[in-house]
Amino acid sequence: MRNTFCVLLIVLAFSSSPRQAVAGQSGPSGTSPAKKSTIEDFGDRVNGYVRIRKDAEDFLSALSSSKDPAEIASHKIELAELIVSERANAHQGDIFTPKAAAKFREIIHKTLKGPRTQDARRTVDDKDPEKIVILRVNMVYPEDNPLQTAPPTLLARLPELPMDMGYRFIGRTFVLLDNKTRLIIDFIPDAIP
Amino acid sequence: MKTIRRFIGLALLPICLSLYGQKLTLPVHQGAVRFAAIGDMGTGEPPQYEVASRMNAIREEFPFDFVIMLGDNIYGGNSAADFKKKFELPYKLLLDSGVKFYATLGNHDAATQKTYKPFNMGGQQYYTYKKGNVQFFALDSNYMSPQEVVWLTKELQNSNSDWKVCYFHHPLYSSGKFHGPSVELRQVLEPLFMKYGVQVVFSGHDHVYERTKPQNGIHYFIEGAAGELRKGDLKTTDITAAGYDQDQSFLLVEISGDELDFQAVSRLGVTIDQGSFSRIPDRKP
Repeated sequence: MRNTFCVLLIVLAFSSSPRQAVAGQSGPSGTSPAKKSTIEDFGDRVNGYVRIRKDAEDFLSALSSSKDPAEIASHKIELAELIVSERANAHQGDIFTPKAAAKFREIIHKTLKGPRTQDARRTVDDKDPEKIVILRVNMVYPEDNPLQTAPPTLLARLPELPMDMGYRFIGRTFVLLDNKTRLIIDFIPDAIP
Repeated sequence: MKTIRRFIGLALLPICLSLYGQKLTLPVHQGAVRFAAIGDMGTGEPPQYEVASRMNAIREEFPFDFVIMLGDNIYGGNSAADFKKKFELPYKLLLDSGVKFYATLGNHDAATQKTYKPFNMGGQQYYTYKKGNVQFFALDSNYMSPQEVVWLTKELQNSNSDWKVCYFHHPLYSSGKFHGPSVELRQVLEPLFMKYGVQVVFSGHDHVYERTKPQNGIHYFIEGAAGELRKGDLKTTDITAAGYDQDQSFLLVEISGDELDFQAVSRLGVTIDQGSFSRIPDRKP
């Protein structure tokens, strides 16, 4: 039910956003079948990940709150390990498929480059010094590395994500991040124009 | 001889300033909402402990009930040892006295902090709560999603509190040289603040203290130096009402009826800013 809801939200968010005009292929309803299927496919893949995480949480019994930081930390590690074992064969591009990645690049480009985009660009560029990390799918992004702020203008143009998932920039890379575990689910390299 | 005298003078200066500046100017009205604001504190280094100790000492005169945390609560990891060294130990006396902490996340914080009970986030990255005639809105400025904006709009719309106070990590206005203002975020949030009568906003991120002149009728404070400090980072601009970048600091606030009183205090106990302002009662949507 929740997954269906998420897919519905993703489709609605994408079909009503300004990027429809970017591709220049809008049909009478403003949504071309090709675009819709790319986003539906993206939504399905995200929901596939959410199902795996939900199963892992059910197995561990979800932790809503705790006074004990050790319990929070160990729950996070166990959850990440379970998810990674279920996704052992996951690769970059599994969720951001080439078609989806092209679409995302287009939206990022429109948001960060061109007239009146300097404020969004400044949001991405505002970062504390961080260690350089070679990103890979299924790695836990180190907690001692701060995350760049996600530009609100960009978030408003991207497909809505289920709870505890986020789009983030890490350096010039665009990342789909699991907020609960800080696992890198997928990424688009060199996404900042 | 002259050098020795100068040395003694310099050594005594902080103590004199401390004794002089520690005078509490806040009114301490009965039934008032009293709180402290700290940001960018979670270093686990001695200055954080010294600020915490100063907060505890001042509480004897100004019995604040809770603390709002403006993000970067725990730097450098989220192990049990990190929480102990960077939160539980420095604020132990306050926690033991029943002072509650209400956190918001900074760019150095892990999202799992929302499940840490003493941060009172209720498992949410953004949330709201009421104290007397004041409603607080703790936002996640790291990830201002459309869902969060919709939530905030609805909560502000439904709020019937006299005072609406928002706090989050990234400042909408800042004269800090290192980060500066989050202009894009300002474009999203400020119209809502104006429309729904938010009177006061607290942020961190820049490791200084700054109070701006009211912008569009809203009072903005930065208190991002309760642990970290970026000495000399404040380049005062024409929006600066007061600022301080020479030592760690924290902010005390009392809201009573239509009056808000504040006093910013340095690690050494020097008052670095103080004042009051009134709520504009007719600022309703």
